[in-house]
Amino acid sequence: MKINMMAAAMLLGVSFAAANVQAAELKFPKGEGAFSWSALEKFAADHTDLKGQTLTIWGPWREGGDQEMFQSVLAYFEDATGVTVKYGSSENYEQQAQIDAAAGSSANVTILPQPGLLADMASKGYLTPLSDALKARVEAENAAGASFVSLGTYNDKAGKAEFYAVPYKSDLKSLVWYSPDNFTDAGYAVPQTYEELKTLTEKMVADGNTPWCIGLGSGGATGWPATDWVEDIMLRINTPEDYDAWVKNDLKFNDPKVIAALDEFGWFAKNDKNVDGGVAAVGTTDFRESPLGLFSVPPKCYMHHQASFIPSFFPKDTKLGTDANFFYFPQSSEHDLGKPVLGAGTLAVVTKDSPAAQAFVDFLLNPISNEVWMAQSGFLSTLKAANVDTYANETLKGEGSILLNATTFRFDGSDLMPGAIGAGSFWTGMVDFVGGKSAKDVGDEIQASWDAIK
Amino acid sequence: MTAVAEPAVLTDAPAKPYRSSWRKRLNAGRVITHVLLLLLVALWTLPTVGLLVSSLRDKDQLAVSGWWTALRPSESLGVTRIGTAADQVAKDGHFVISGNVFGADTNKQLGGFGLTNSTPGQTPPGGTMPMSDGGTLTVAANGAFAWTSDTQFTHTRGPRVFYLAEIAPRFTLDNYYEVLTSNGVWRSFINSFTVTIPATIIPILIAAFAAYALAWMRFPFRGFIVALVVGLLVVPLQMSLIPLLTLYNQLAQLFGAENGKTYQGIWLAHTAFGLPLAIYLLRNYMVGLPKEIMESARIDGASHFKIFTGMVLPLSFPALASFSIFQFLWVWNDLLVAMVFLGAQQDKLVLTGKLVSLLGSRGNNWEILTAGAFITIVVPLIVFFALQRYFVRGLLAGSVK
Amino acid sequence: MGDVLQQITGAIVAIVVALAACVAYFWGSNWMLDRFLSSRKVTGDAETRRDHLRDSIRPWLFLLPALLFLSVYLVYPVFETLRLSVLDKTGSNFVGFANYAWALSDNNFQRSILNNIMWLIVVPSLATAFGLVIAVLADRLWWGNIAKSLVFMPMAISFVGASVIWRFVYDYRGEGDVQIGLLNAIVTGFGLPPQAWITIPVWNSLFLMIILVWIQTGFAMVILSAALRGIPEETLEAARIDGASDVRIFFDIMIPQIIGTIVVVWTTITIVVLKVFDIIFAMTNGQWDTEVLANFMFKWMFVNFDYGRGSAVAVVIMLAVLPIMIWNIRRANAEQGTR
Repeated sequence: MKINMMAAAMLLGVSFAAANVQAAELKFPKGEGAFSWSALEKFAADHTDLKGQTLTIWGPWREGGDQEMFQSVLAYFEDATGVTVKYGSSENYEQQAQIDAAAGSSANVTILPQPGLLADMASKGYLTPLSDALKARVEAENAAGASFVSLGTYNDKAGKAEFYAVPYKSDLKSLVWYSPDNFTDAGYAVPQTYEELKTLTEKMVADGNTPWCIGLGSGGATGWPATDWVEDIMLRINTPEDYDAWVKNDLKFNDPKVIAALDEFGWFAKNDKNVDGGVAAVGTTDFRESPLGLFSVPPKCYMHHQASFIPSFFPKDTKLGTDANFFYFPQSSEHDLGKPVLGAGTLAVVTKDSPAAQAFVDFLLNPISNEVWMAQSGFLSTLKAANVDTYANETLKGEGSILLNATTFRFDGSDLMPGAIGAGSFWTGMVDFVGGKSAKDVGDEIQASWDAIK
Repeated sequence: MTAVAEPAVLTDAPAKPYRSSWRKRLNAGRVITHVLLLLLVALWTLPTVGLLVSSLRDKDQLAVSGWWTALRPSESLGVTRIGTAADQVAKDGHFVISGNVFGADTNKQLGGFGLTNSTPGQTPPGGTMPMSDGGTLTVAANGAFAWTSDTQFTHTRGPRVFYLAEIAPRFTLDNYYEVLTSNGVWRSFINSFTVTIPATIIPILIAAFAAYALAWMRFPFRGFIVALVVGLLVVPLQMSLIPLLTLYNQLAQLFGAENGKTYQGIWLAHTAFGLPLAIYLLRNYMVGLPKEIMESARIDGASHFKIFTGMVLPLSFPALASFSIFQFLWVWNDLLVAMVFLGAQQDKLVLTGKLVSLLGSRGNNWEILTAGAFITIVVPLIVFFALQRYFVRGLLAGSVK
Repeated sequence: MGDVLQQITGAIVAIVVALAACVAYFWGSNWMLDRFLSSRKVTGDAETRRDHLRDSIRPWLFLLPALLFLSVYLVYPVFETLRLSVLDKTGSNFVGFANYAWALSDNNFQRSILNNIMWLIVVPSLATAFGLVIAVLADRLWWGNIAKSLVFMPMAISFVGASVIWRFVYDYRGEGDVQIGLLNAIVTGFGLPPQAWITIPVWNSLFLMIILVWIQTGFAMVILSAALRGIPEETLEAARIDGASDVRIFFDIMIPQIIGTIVVVWTTITIVVLKVFDIIFAMTNGQWDTEVLANFMFKWMFVNFDYGRGSAVAVVIMLAVLPIMIWNIRRANAEQGTR
């Protein structure tokens, strides 16, 4: 029996291995288009001594999604240096990264979207500090460079602040997606202020339409989409300084300012008429299925608040700009707080030092590493040298300009908070909040869990 | 493996003859028995049937109607954007933009069409509607449309056409095709076999010897070791991951390997994690073997080693087979241990890991979910049905004293 | 291509080498024992002493490989866990019982304990009861084996598969939408509003338990069916001649006869329940008050990376098993006495 299976396995292996050869072709031929090829040439000239080395990378991009994009970027690195890159990821990549770090089998470079987690890893001595020269480059070559330096600076085991993480790939969170045709047909206009957004919501309900699709489901991470809502609202009704204090818990989670933000979110989500499927559906609808309501006939909803990555989950033939578009989750007119923008992004750290790892971190600051992905899909770059003409479409360009025109930029708060809060009680709290608990109770509970880890 | 598989040993403890006496009592009670069992079996099978049916359905229907409606035609509302001025052709003095509202889809029938969200089925198939960009639109029952105008089209934004479509029930293997042709699935199949087969075979002998000692030999601490084995059955596996991986990495460093994630490592890990159950099951079984045979063999001067290899091992074949099934199922279906000890790099991904990664970033693709889930189930089911006859008899003769 | 063949060859070699090593070890060590401690050339007291010596060494030779594996892969981690449970988050400073104190005061921990107790009562009982009923019914019908195979099938399904299967049962769509979850389709078929099943506290735990019952019943059934076949036919025949009804025979004869097996099945499923993690992790991750100990531990260990607290919870899980261990020690000792 077993021998037979082995034979069968072997046969399959023979017939399919042939189809499995991965061509490390370059997606865009060198020298063509608006890409910064000269930067790539310079990079190749600077790193000629790496041929034959192997570099392992662990990151969040998985198959069927962004992995192919990232691999197309890696192809240029391999081409320029002769290094062989092995990339891996899994459903629970954050946990895997931590397990590997603890056991000493980390990849050379690890890329994660949570600065909070990286700070934790740095304090346990799992990360290799980066040079001051690199730190200076991150500050000089990125828009809002200083904020990225502080995002990548953590305390090491001895409590000394060091620079560890290079930003690569940003996401814009302050977006509301809608169907321009549906808006036109129903006679709705894109709201310019937060107050107008609320008025529009009421108007849609009065017209007998359902304004919002909100889905918090995300398997083990259920609840996170609501944290984005709350963070965005925090920046609309409170000052950026309050926001910073909040993510550090200097402003308590049950502070009236935070409770007010929770209640604002409740105004949108905890009303059966405001959300598709009613409040009960909010907690269980998968965030990946949620935006589909925009495209159904008749539309199940007219608006969807989600980050810039969400078009990957739109129906396959959706044309961005035509079938779907976004508007900026608008600033408040009552509070004079400028145009705040909430974003997120991934950060690369060296978890097992090697010359190839250092070269790769350097490569991430090279415009080519950004442009190759920008030219394909949802990649927003903060690198000043990256040519905005390489963005694949107008939508991305528009998002890029929101990022560049922001008067206030803040990183996703739940990713900055300690894991037990930002990936734990905050999520659970939001699920409970939508499930019927009051903002006060939820705030108290999250604060209590924060006190318990101090 | 082959040594114990001689046909002669399969006939040990012959199954009891069919209980004809029960049969004679054919009455209302028997009918109830049939109905009751049928009901229970239906309850147990229904969820899996749902998955099977879903995996064979068209992916557009999968997420919009229940699987139990698969045989009925379903109605759905849809929208499509028809061409812009760039798509027009001049024909007989008219300008025409044509195509099909269903795209390449052929199992849909038009129930009606319209130009707004609120009136999707307003005009019957074959009917004509005036368009705001000029000219008239007609859509045939098969979805083919023609937008005709006397003047040249100039619009740059294609208007939307809404329609009511009847979708004929359709079963397809497309979903399986999609999963099976995705890059690296076959490699993952091989990886899963590479992990599972040695990890199933290696523990058998080790456990059998230990079980024999615990069942038939006298020595101090025997009771304690039995209890220890039972206790270890419940150690949460997650606890051992970090200490063991650390150990592996230190060993790897010693031998100059890149890291501790190797097939050897995962075989040994699965062997160890399977041992408590193996020893527990086999010991229970061996304790139940007839005492008299053992004792007479001992009196004849046979050593423990001889008794074990000559009598106990062949007699225990059903129990060994039962354990193999359990171990095979467990290792094949495992995700956690494989991720930690083998890693998730493309060339080392096992099948469960592959499917999770296929779902990972595409959680709303039910067609991949359903077909993928079924593909993971197939191999364990084959193994189970192939070895089932030993299983039913062999599992727990030990406690049936 | 090349590395695939190499990998397969490696696996085959590994099987051969491992089997050869096992045989060589067991046969070789046994041979050496008989050879070097032979009592052939000695007589009298010395002979008896050597006989005894051999007899007391041999069991350990049989056990050695298994004990080595168990020590390295399971016992060592248990001690490591005990050690970590009195250390802080990073495992470097001693904090005494602070982690346990924290656990006892934590809401979610208390919730997990309550839920685990529910799981421990409901799942083993239901799975054993259903398994027994199906085994008894199936043994009386000509299509019994087919029925058993179908009921056993969930045991062979990976968790990836099972979670997908049950999503099609518990799925919820808003009122008025087409339900694609079986349960809601039935409910709305009766004209009642659909429910988001996995979000309704207390009941949702029950819905998750049903999944485990669904999986474990096959296991219980197979073992109990084997036990039922071991009941002497004469006993049943005698009862029938006395005019006992089927139900009476079931309760008064069958159950007492196989009570030992029922206990074993119940114990095994209890152990599975204590380790239950996948179901919760995939379906709710402990939201909506469905937290259980194993998932709670996983969270503190691998999401919050607080090894101290994670380990403390793990120790609690192991403590919960103590009664089962003690019971097994007793049973093992009792058996030893009779032999």
